Amino acid sequence: MSAEPFPRPTAERSIAVRGELTVSDLDKSFVIGGQPRPVLENINLTVRPGEFVSIVGASGCGKSTLLRLIVGLDDQYRGEIRLDGERIATTSLDRGIVFQDHRLFPWMTLEQNIELALLNTDTPKARRAAIVAEHIALVGLTGFEKAYPHQLSGGMAQRAAIARALVTEPKVLLLDEPLGALDALTRVHVQNELQRIWLAQRSTMVMVTHDVEEALYLGDRVIVMSPNPGRIRRIVNVDLPHPRDRRSPLLHRLKDEILAELTGAPTDTPANLVHLPSREPR
Amino acid sequence: MNRLLANRSIRLVIGLVAPAILLAWWQWFATTPGASAVALAPLGSVGSAFLELANNGTLLGDITATLGRAFTGFAIGASLGVATGTAMAVLPLLNRVLGPLLNGLRQVPMIGWLPLIGLWFGTGEGSELIVVCLGAFFPAMLNTHAGVANVEQRYLDVGEIFRFTATQRFVRILLPAAMPLILTGLTQSLAFAWIGTLASELLMGAGGGLGVTLQTAQIQQRLDVILVTVAITAVLGFAINQIIARVRREVLRWQPVQY
Repeated sequence: MSAEPFPRPTAERSIAVRGELTVSDLDKSFVIGGQPRPVLENINLTVRPGEFVSIVGASGCGKSTLLRLIVGLDDQYRGEIRLDGERIATTSLDRGIVFQDHRLFPWMTLEQNIELALLNTDTPKARRAAIVAEHIALVGLTGFEKAYPHQLSGGMAQRAAIARALVTEPKVLLLDEPLGALDALTRVHVQNELQRIWLAQRSTMVMVTHDVEEALYLGDRVIVMSPNPGRIRRIVNVDLPHPRDRRSPLLHRLKDEILAELTGAPTDTPANLVHLPSREPR
Repeated sequence: MNRLLANRSIRLVIGLVAPAILLAWWQWFATTPGASAVALAPLGSVGSAFLELANNGTLLGDITATLGRAFTGFAIGASLGVATGTAMAVLPLLNRVLGPLLNGLRQVPMIGWLPLIGLWFGTGEGSELIVVCLGAFFPAMLNTHAGVANVEQRYLDVGEIFRFTATQRFVRILLPAAMPLILTGLTQSLAFAWIGTLASELLMGAGGGLGVTLQTAQIQQRLDVILVTVAITAVLGFAINQIIARVRREVLRWQPVQY
């Protein structure tokens, strides 16, 4: 901490690379019952600017902890986390996050909740309303500006949370199981929205999920983590252009592989059980 | 059944049934010859006592004095309570220093302070106000403290992510998140201020007010005046409650409606 340069408060627009996230030799442990207990061990990862990276793993593999560290809510770690070369020690408007629970303030309307994010930016006051409206439109919530969070459905609230995280134009958007609490149909819908937003914004995104299908559908790469302590087990390249087709055979093959990896079963068994040569399952 | 209650005027009528029965019983009881006539004055004589008090200005004077005392005491006591509760929630050291003392002191019922206050400050209007302030202070302090101290970390995280300053954190997160409990505290404070006002007026008898009139009426054995004053006290207390419930609904309109 001592030898590091002071974190700069404002985003440096002059810098060529925008949103390159590097994690090197990261170790993190919690003290539980007086004993240090490692949660993350030897994490090395580089996320390219504009890349969408999904992280999957069983619960307890430290994937949410990793996001908390990257966003800067926790600075107790060993190793390095850097965004465009700058070491992360605290929160910054360069890094946005969407949590599993939307965390909109129940005492504010949707509009006020989103405008809140701009409070400490240098965005001129006169332009804020327009920017907020733009982002409400981006997540398809136009007409609900004056609604309080309890008046929104789960999917709408989560989309509002995404808008709030995007409104500051962060270099990196972190998504901590953002769709985990949604029902299957809403989930698919918001996944499509997320893909559309990412294609429009092209900011770097890192999403933690326990849904392998979701990870593959959205991610350029999928990081597979194993628990106790959390380690990177494998990095899967998803070599398919966006927007993707959910029925793509490659996605299904990769899903079977990753599931096998996560459940510890031999790689080829689950795939062969349901595989029909002429027709993809589902 | 519920559809019946959904209609505003029907709801009003149903609410008036019990008071009407009470009044009918009262009239029957008061006009039946025997010992019971001493316990309750007939409605007619209560009505004329009301007119008498209203015409000679006593009633308006009493209401003004009592309301003035209750609201002044509430304003002072509750704002000190909210301020202290907030400060204790935000500053752990202050909480450690003042917490045990205040939690000990609050165990003494409001009326328990009367002898001490009487000895120190006499039994004048100032002492009455102090009792009211004391009564209003503790509920506001305790609830505000609980509200501000227990704001969920997940909301504070959001403030940290958007780089809130200490002031922004306080005004935009702590205060609104604690508002439901603060308002609960204020509601209780007002009730305690009302009780404290009547009790201190009854026991100290200074400066006029409904309690003072009650006390005088008891000495003069004016049953009708006592009944009028009690009825006025009940109606005023009810009105105050209605107002604060309305204020609460208005301030907390962001909350889902609770049935």
